[in-house]
Amino acid sequence: MDLPCGTRNYDYARDMAVLRTKTHWALFIGLLVIVFAAPLYLGNYWLGVCNLIGITIITITGLNILTGYCGQLSIGHAGFMAVGAYTTAILTNKLGFPFLAGLICSGFSAGLIGLIFGLPSVRVKGFYLAITTIAAQFIIIWVINHWSLTGGFVGISVPPASIGGFVFKTEASQFYLIMVITAICILFAKNLARSRVGRAFIAVRDNDLAAEVMGINLLYYKLLAFFIGCFLAGIAGALLAHWTGFLNAENFTLTDSILYIGMVIIGGLGTTIGPILGAALIRLLQQGIMYISPVLESAFPAIPAGFTSGIAPMVFGLVIILFLILEPRGLARRWTLFRAAYRLWPFSY
Amino acid sequence: MAELLQYTITGIAVGMVYALIALGFALIWKSSSVANLALGQLVLISSWFTYGMLVQAKLPYWIGFPLTILFAIFLGWMIERFTLRPLIAQPILALITVTLGVGYFLEGVVTFIWPMSVAALPRLFPQEPVHIGPAVVSQEYIWAAGISLLLFGILSLFFKYHKMGIAMRATADDQMAVQACAIPVTSVFSMSWIFACVVAAIGGVLVSSIGGITFGLVETGLKSFSVVILGGLDSFIGCMVAGPIIGLCENLGGGYLTPLIGPGIKDIIPFIIIIIVMIVKPYGLFGETRIERI
Repeated sequence: MDLPCGTRNYDYARDMAVLRTKTHWALFIGLLVIVFAAPLYLGNYWLGVCNLIGITIITITGLNILTGYCGQLSIGHAGFMAVGAYTTAILTNKLGFPFLAGLICSGFSAGLIGLIFGLPSVRVKGFYLAITTIAAQFIIIWVINHWSLTGGFVGISVPPASIGGFVFKTEASQFYLIMVITAICILFAKNLARSRVGRAFIAVRDNDLAAEVMGINLLYYKLLAFFIGCFLAGIAGALLAHWTGFLNAENFTLTDSILYIGMVIIGGLGTTIGPILGAALIRLLQQGIMYISPVLESAFPAIPAGFTSGIAPMVFGLVIILFLILEPRGLARRWTLFRAAYRLWPFSY
Repeated sequence: MAELLQYTITGIAVGMVYALIALGFALIWKSSSVANLALGQLVLISSWFTYGMLVQAKLPYWIGFPLTILFAIFLGWMIERFTLRPLIAQPILALITVTLGVGYFLEGVVTFIWPMSVAALPRLFPQEPVHIGPAVVSQEYIWAAGISLLLFGILSLFFKYHKMGIAMRATADDQMAVQACAIPVTSVFSMSWIFACVVAAIGGVLVSSIGGITFGLVETGLKSFSVVILGGLDSFIGCMVAGPIIGLCENLGGGYLTPLIGPGIKDIIPFIIIIIVMIVKPYGLFGETRIERI
């Protein structure tokens, strides 16, 4: 870890601290103020975008633990999100559970389903696992569409979140709820990566055979990665359910799963900051495309009719390909480079 | 009885087409160990291209089909040259996800150029149903199966006797040794992509001439993954054996389970087979079991 000149570690706690210097603290508090004051200067629409980004960050953080740290590819994360979303929908809507209980239950149910589909990971990896998770995606969505409990193709309505009598009805109150949970998830991921579990994940990712020889229980850690990754996806799904108020299997397509993988890669695999950057970039890009395509369409009538719907997948596909070729370590690496350059400026040697 | 026979014949015929598409996957996997997850989108875009040539540009068959093949060749070359070539020797995660990106991009191209999302190809084969015993089978299925079988025969002869085919098999076996024998590995890679795209295009035209062009074709491509998984990733024979098995399971299961479980079970059967194979016999029927060393 590169630190500014003169920063020394006098004890272990200080060595392990996330925020090391006074500048770190100042920037961190500044960031918190900017984020949590957002309802003061953002309209409802942009608050909604921020909510979506927050929910996406939770999913991507889970996927990052699974794919980025543990190296197990999952192309079914939208499906696992759907499990969480429908669990809370059924529990709160039909059985009258409180919001927090529903949230925890949806995390666990998504985690358990993830465990089932993660079982093959003990014997296979790479492409085989990718296919298994694609199969998981299709099977989960099929079950949702054909089960009477989940409302089938029609969908199911979800009551807004509420804690102890306070109902999160407005966009701003939901913003605070989602941001707090997102912050907790990021902190959890950050600390997990620095613990024994996180190091075991990294060992499994780099060479699972060598890890096993060193005494890491592959079965346990691979399934744990699946559980944690899908648990976070379930939490994100539950938040999405309470935020939108209405669920339909259309919210969780294979395309979304692919986009999530893209976000992890664009953000940077195996970093804490990566999921935040990746999710924010892609969601903002989506907003930009949504904003700019009608403008372009009215400016150039010669553009074919499919422009509006076709441009988004084209751009995202291209972004994923370009990042993989040009910057496989993602935006997180750019961020590190920027920080190093900033710290050394103006004497870069 | 008639029902059973009908499901069986349709299943085998559809399975042959799946096997053909899966062959394209196995080709790439064997020569370059790249998992092509854009298979479904390749099927989709070449079907739409055929539609554009035959229906929108009103070209006769004997111009339209060669143009489709040319397009597939071009597509395969482009994908290999501009996305896979820069990623040679990258971790497998990158290789898998880059094909996902390619697939996503192609899907965008399809919605961009053909926004109607559903279309029908003109009928390629005679319409009269054939009576085989008590069963009535649409003639299209028989044609599709026949063409797939023919192509499989041609491809296996190519791999057995043609110089390029032998080079491709050698590359699959040992890339370093092949390079030392002055075989251009990169051109073998692009050759395998070209073959895969052509095979996917033909499979796509066969499927969409029967069922029409929809986004379901992407799923058809994904279903042929179950063929590859069941047959074993690096085995051509495996594809040809597993294809009809998957087709049979899909049609028999679809026929007999739909009243019991509900509509749509047909589409999910191949994915359930994937999960079962993964847990029971992950390297498939004919696949090579990988033994790893540290």
